[in-house]
Amino acid sequence: MYKQTALRLHQQFLDKKISAEEIVRYFLQRIEKLNGQVGAFLSVFPERALTQARALDQKRASGGKLGRLAGVPVGIKDNIHVQGELTTCSSKFLANYRAVFDATVTKLLEGEGAIILGKTNLDEFAMGSSTENSALQSTSNPWNLDCVPGGSSGGSTAAVAARLCPITLGSDTGGSVRQPAAFCGVVGFKPSYGRVSRYGLVAFGSSLDQIGPIAATTEEISMVMEVLGQHDVHDATSLPLHAEDYLSLIQAPIRGKKIGVPWQFLQDLPAEAKENFLKALEVMKGHGCEVVDVDLNILKYAVATYYIIATAEASTNLARFDGIRFGVRSKRAETLEQVYDYSRTEGFGPEVKKRIFLGTYVLSAGYQDAYYKQAAKVRVKIIDEFNRAFEQCDAIATPVSPTPAFKKGAIQDPLEMYLQDIYTIGVNLARLPAISVPSGFSKAKMPFGFQIIGARHEDALVCRLAHAYEKAAPYGLEVPPQFDKEV
Amino acid sequence: MDPSIYGEWEAVIGLEVHVELNTKAKLFSPAANHFGDEPNTNISDVCTGQPGTLPVINQEAVRKAVLLGCALNAHVAKYSRFDRKSYFYPDSPRNFQITQFEMPIIVGGSVTADVDGIPKTFGINRAHLEDDAGMLKHFNRFAGVDYNRAGVPLVEIVSQPCIFSSKEAIAYAMALKAILQYIDASDCNMEEGSLRMDANISVRPKGSKELRNKIEIKNLNSFAFMGMALDAEFKRQVKEYVTQPHVDPSQIISQATYRWDADKKETVLMRRKETADDYRYFIEPDLPPLVLEEEYIDAIRQLLPELPYEREKRYISTYGLTSDAALMLVNEKTLADYFEEGLKVCSNAKSLCNWLVVEFAGRFKDSGKVLWESGIPASYVGKLVNLIDNGIITGKIAKKVADLMVENPQKDPEKIVQENPDFQPMCDTNELEAIVDRVLNENPQSIQDFKNGKERAFAFLVGQVMKVTQGKAPPPLINKMLKEKISKIKDQNP
Repeated sequence: MYKQTALRLHQQFLDKKISAEEIVRYFLQRIEKLNGQVGAFLSVFPERALTQARALDQKRASGGKLGRLAGVPVGIKDNIHVQGELTTCSSKFLANYRAVFDATVTKLLEGEGAIILGKTNLDEFAMGSSTENSALQSTSNPWNLDCVPGGSSGGSTAAVAARLCPITLGSDTGGSVRQPAAFCGVVGFKPSYGRVSRYGLVAFGSSLDQIGPIAATTEEISMVMEVLGQHDVHDATSLPLHAEDYLSLIQAPIRGKKIGVPWQFLQDLPAEAKENFLKALEVMKGHGCEVVDVDLNILKYAVATYYIIATAEASTNLARFDGIRFGVRSKRAETLEQVYDYSRTEGFGPEVKKRIFLGTYVLSAGYQDAYYKQAAKVRVKIIDEFNRAFEQCDAIATPVSPTPAFKKGAIQDPLEMYLQDIYTIGVNLARLPAISVPSGFSKAKMPFGFQIIGARHEDALVCRLAHAYEKAAPYGLEVPPQFDKEV
Repeated sequence: MDPSIYGEWEAVIGLEVHVELNTKAKLFSPAANHFGDEPNTNISDVCTGQPGTLPVINQEAVRKAVLLGCALNAHVAKYSRFDRKSYFYPDSPRNFQITQFEMPIIVGGSVTADVDGIPKTFGINRAHLEDDAGMLKHFNRFAGVDYNRAGVPLVEIVSQPCIFSSKEAIAYAMALKAILQYIDASDCNMEEGSLRMDANISVRPKGSKELRNKIEIKNLNSFAFMGMALDAEFKRQVKEYVTQPHVDPSQIISQATYRWDADKKETVLMRRKETADDYRYFIEPDLPPLVLEEEYIDAIRQLLPELPYEREKRYISTYGLTSDAALMLVNEKTLADYFEEGLKVCSNAKSLCNWLVVEFAGRFKDSGKVLWESGIPASYVGKLVNLIDNGIITGKIAKKVADLMVENPQKDPEKIVQENPDFQPMCDTNELEAIVDRVLNENPQSIQDFKNGKERAFAFLVGQVMKVTQGKAPPPLINKMLKEKISKIKDQNP
């Protein structure tokens, strides 16, 4: 059953070939047996999931209306609320924090009959590119357990890669869905900013964050986007757009579509990644796409711009973690100042502290003009350059990251780690939709990812191109050998 | 120090008035905006800054802010924006306030108010929307936070530094308060903190155009305190400059924040500005810019009611009220409405006004209550005035009737007079004539004085009659009798 896509599981459930309870029991058992090796899930809710499964079976038996995701088990990144369950953000600060409300995405998923199995690991507060910054648990790459799964949604991508559940949600602030999807050999989608509600997502960089689905195939991504991609009154930045019919939109042919490639920006791409990328472009050409050169040299400033804007926003978003109302309150603290100082010192990990310092610095009087305001201007320029590029093409293609997954602990230099996101970060700055689809393997048998970027609001086109690509190159269906078995 | 020195200086004052809008819900959350409830009952996940929550702007608050902009004759920005203002304090649930730092919703505008009967137009710099903080409550061994107020919509109205005395400051603030009440933007209840003021003040020699260093007095919660605080601070600053004539003025007063100590009656230093927080303002990423259509603003402008200054002018020209009397009515919208209600049964506007702002106001002063909430219908006050004007009762008896009206708000004054024999007018002319004759006999000198042109002597005679009749003689009748009888008495002077 683990090899079946969410679409097929859903269909079998509708056809009464399998019950929701059977599906849930099956995946709960896989999690129980395999999660110890991969460390993808932080928490699992067997009772909640089974109760919902039985209710669904009841509904099916009584002829009730079944949702578009009925019977599909999902995992949720642990920075997205499921009411009554822990939302730890993989931080000691929130180790005991129970969500007091459902995120909009949680409501939408459950409203369509999806069954949430548990919450997945991440870099603390989604800050990182390897999930090594989780303060609570280590997650391994299912293709090589010594390697990182990427990050920050490493738990969500590893869960899908190890087939612990067919669909998970991640959040993508600078590449946090796409890069780990590439590292784990699964599909990860970052929708246009505002396409999916952020209500109930613990904010990192509010103007960059977007929740996105992760699955083995683009069809499954599309299935989820039909449910999640709609306006939400609780999120003022939510786009005033209706849900789209992704599953039928992605079936249309892509012949004649122009794919822009920013060759000059990609000039430093390592040989193996380049080879993989060229192969992927050949697949697109095989579908009748035309590949054109576009100028996106501005993106060499994207990482620097991102680390100013994202940390500035984060420094204020994380100010609420003060030990007053929720989360950790230091036992040593006796005065108000100490409650703040000690609670934050004890509760936050080193990467989070670093980013709070950085964000506070770039917003400070005397530095704000040189850093934050300058970065905001560069961001506008990046948006302009993308817009210009999209005058010449329908979509832009790049690799997802310069290398496949690296060994745990291999990258110690923070700047080197930040460069992991060099190809993904510009997309968040420009609020664009982009997808990472598996595009084959390195010599060491580690997955590569191929990124397709669309113009603003062209989410369905991005999925359509990715769907066409994976029909010819279905690498997402490959299962890591260690997990390619019944348990 | 010689107090005459103060006459050579003037204060330069700018006011920041914080007003809580009386919307149903808070500025960014659906929680109720309501004062005085159990702590932490009017809260939602947004109000306690739960992770994952997002602000959504309350359109009612926007409408009220736009209406205020129209009432101030200001430019209502078609494009304004919200910013984050960072500071750590337990009453601030996100540890940043959402405010409008760079692009406020209201720019410019003015408030006109009479100062000593002369109209003055005070310029407004800007007004912006922001959310209020919660409140700390200190107990014996710990402190608690009440987030009921956290997120309540505030408008901060910043004046130009165009106020030159405490009297002007009070006139401006009272006029602004009246405008806010007239457009139903706020209840402006100062005891409950719905209207709070910060004052910036510097002083300079009269005639000078320079602006010296200013200090800020925070959290002035009554007009009287504001007046006292500004007067005290004016004197303090003048004294500092006068006693140090050879020191560079910028070294004498440095920017700082003060508060008013009502017991000591002096301004007390809170902190110097050099150590002020860096608020690290930047654009609030969770809220899109506030974009308003011209038609939207115009439609709201159409809803503007008659504003207090226009009403004051109308009262002066139509009813002949003095500027002070008109202002007393107009500055409390409900009182002015009450006045107009009373005018429906009574045409003596001046007397009605006097009964409202002097007589009845005095009767409620100590109880802390107010006439218009007492249950006494405005028409009853109007009837009371009619009883006097029609000679049914004297002013003296009317005061007793008013006492009873306060005790029995639902009782018609006509009925009070009917039921009380002591309040019945003396209509027995024989009896009255006898009293008048007696008074005239006892006061020949007054008769002579009156004949010699002393009007006061006549009033004295009326008073004597009233004294004997315990105020029950109808004044018009007594006047008539006295005049007739005096005219018949022969002039004593040859």
